[in-house]
Amino acid sequence: MTVPETASRPHRGTIFQENGRILDHHDAGADQWILRVHAPECARAAQPGQFAHLQCAPRLLMRRPLSIQRVDREAGWVEFLYKVVGDGTLALSQQAQGDTLSVLGPIGQPFRLHPERPKRLLLGGGVGIPPMIFLAHHLHLRGEAGQTHAVLGSEVPFPFHPRPSEILWPGLPHGAIATLPLLEDWGVACRLTSKAGIPGAHDGFVTDLARAWLKTLAPAERDQVELFACGPHPMLAACAELAAEFDLPCQVSLEEFMACAVGGCAGCTVPVRTPEGVAMKRVCVDGPVFAAADVFPEPERA
Amino acid sequence: MSDSRTDPRLALEFCGLHLNTPLVLLSGCVGFGEEYTRVAGFSNRDAGAICLKGTTGQARLGNAPHRVYETPDGMLNAIGLQNPGVDHVVDHTLPQLDFEETRFFANVSGSTIEEYIEVTRRFDDSPIDAIEINISCPNVKEGGVAFGNDPDMSARVVEACRKVTSKPLITKLSPNQTDIAENARRCIEAGTDAFAVINTLMGMAVDVENRRAVIGNNQGGLSGPAIKPIALLKVQQVYQVAAPHNVPIIGQGGVMNATDALEFLIAGASTVGVGTGLFYDPLCLPKILHGISDYMDRHGYTHVRDLTGTLQLNGAVSACAPPAPQDPAT
Ligand SMILES: Cc1cc2nc3c(=O)[nH]c(=O)nc-3n(C[C@H](O)[C@H](O)[C@H](O)COP(=O)(O)OP(=O)(O)OC[C@H]3O[C@@H](n4cnc5c(N)ncnc54)[C@H](O)[C@@H]3O)c2cc1C
Ligand SMILES: Cc1cc2nc3c(=O)[nH]c(=O)nc-3n(C[C@H](O)[C@H](O)[C@H](O)COP(=O)(O)O)c2cc1C
Ligand code: FES
Repeated sequence: MTVPETASRPHRGTIFQENGRILDHHDAGADQWILRVHAPECARAAQPGQFAHLQCAPRLLMRRPLSIQRVDREAGWVEFLYKVVGDGTLALSQQAQGDTLSVLGPIGQPFRLHPERPKRLLLGGGVGIPPMIFLAHHLHLRGEAGQTHAVLGSEVPFPFHPRPSEILWPGLPHGAIATLPLLEDWGVACRLTSKAGIPGAHDGFVTDLARAWLKTLAPAERDQVELFACGPHPMLAACAELAAEFDLPCQVSLEEFMACAVGGCAGCTVPVRTPEGVAMKRVCVDGPVFAAADVFPEPERA
Repeated sequence: MSDSRTDPRLALEFCGLHLNTPLVLLSGCVGFGEEYTRVAGFSNRDAGAICLKGTTGQARLGNAPHRVYETPDGMLNAIGLQNPGVDHVVDHTLPQLDFEETRFFANVSGSTIEEYIEVTRRFDDSPIDAIEINISCPNVKEGGVAFGNDPDMSARVVEACRKVTSKPLITKLSPNQTDIAENARRCIEAGTDAFAVINTLMGMAVDVENRRAVIGNNQGGLSGPAIKPIALLKVQQVYQVAAPHNVPIIGQGGVMNATDALEFLIAGASTVGVGTGLFYDPLCLPKILHGISDYMDRHGYTHVRDLTGTLQLNGAVSACAPPAPQDPAT
């Protein structure tokens, strides 16, 4: 009955609880905050698509899940971008540089990269942008930025001071000229969309620009595309539809309320199609990244 | 004491089982026993026992989202007993567990007495160390707390399960009932070996913007520090009934730290459960053990069992005294 501690148990010891110092914490406008915390173990192990579970304030019993936006493995920090929407995120925004924060991470299944699909289209909406930034950075470090495209949408001013892009991206509607400097510097073609009249951003949805681009591709090129999406539920549903329309694989990152975030409580489950029928899967450890076709349209529970 | 896990004063006998420590990981908070080992520094060896997720005869998908929600000093949950069914647990989950690290307790639920019997019988024929019967789950339509709130029904479930297992039988009592002591008395007669006190309290949260219940199941079970004072009182009340029969209690409800654990021991618990506390601090177990050891050093205790039921009640004379005669002049 006894199995050696690690041999058959690769999951053990993969998530770290670190009390890290806040290295930087600033208001990026429109209730959005950028938070950088010293958490070297988490930084070392984190992959794009994973998240951390943060203690926002000692008085709040439940931690809050936030996607990891960037890491610096040498300096040992992890970075988050979050929007203040309630008690937890408000309390978090009141933590100052130099304060200590408990970070539990990295958690969850990351995005999977398939070498046979080197053209990667990253779609991020609102607070779904952070994991796309991490993925873009990761692809840049792998030398694959040239094949990477990103469309990011927001209904409030974007963080990171957008500017006109110098990376050519043919086939897009006029007016889609702005990009995020970070992605531009990494060599990733990126454009922004918004319905809020943000200068340089396309007036529409992320899926509009994505569709416009996919239409310009020859079938052989299109077969090399894979979609990666994170954002509000309706946006993810639209991304899943778009992927189905062009018969492309798509990975989506989901959100659900969480208690433990380590797979213990089954508090965060969503219905997922599996070969054995609809199952309730945990967003924290079975996700947050799922195949879009397995979760959209939302499966009917038997 | 550098490693509380090896502090011999904390190891104890519970229903004839040797437990490494007096801490029990609570059902529904730690999946099927391996989930928290994902956290570096967490060890199942810090727990005397681990209660697995509530298990039923057939697989259950559980409730619709949202299933968990934070409330002041606590949280609501309505998981709805999502589990793969007892056959899967016995055939596939138990063989994955390392019984050298700790003890594993099953947590049995059902919609009918027959289902409780069937699941208990299946676990009886398995390596599981003890069987906890959950007659207090607030999150399913039939069974659960519907049995637990009625002493007759509670006793019938316990009696029926008792007949099909010789493993230690733990009855998990609900706080959502009028006379927990009477219920405990009946369960002892029916053959329970131990009690778990308390399960969650029923509660609700309202989303005012949308005028909706936040929890998918509308109501959920309240756990965490918010319920600790209630749990302590219930433990103390059950202890009065159970102690003369040497029936031990797993005290639980809102344990976050060593002081909380000590409160439960003093109120009458032999072992202390930790559930929601892990969500806040997954590495709280060694800290709690350390704190208990420290306390024992300071107070000269040579074994943790000697703390159980050491509560001194105050002579609350005035509260119990009959009302003073009315002054006819007023
Ligand atoms: C895997 C994952 C990654 C996420 N990444 C980010 C990110 O990078 N940036 C960001 O701004 N937000 C992100 N979120 C959403 C973020 O967790 C919520 O906005 C936050 O929990 C809200 O907490 P609150 O107390 O401020 O709000 P309240 O609305 O007061 O929250 C009340 C309760 O509901 C839960 N809750 C409410 N909304 C959500 C939600 N959308 N997802 C999960 N739980 C929720 C809270 O955790 C809390 O327990 C992510 C969520 C998940 C699951
Ligand atoms: C998410 C969650 C799921 C639970 N599931 C079960 C269960 O399946 N069976 C059971 O007997 N108790 C269940 N409980 C109750 C706990 O085992 C425990 O009795 C209760 O939460 C009080 O302890 P705590 O405050 O330390 O969490 C659950 C509690 C939570 C928070
Ligand atoms: S939050 Fe507990 S299982 Fe996902």
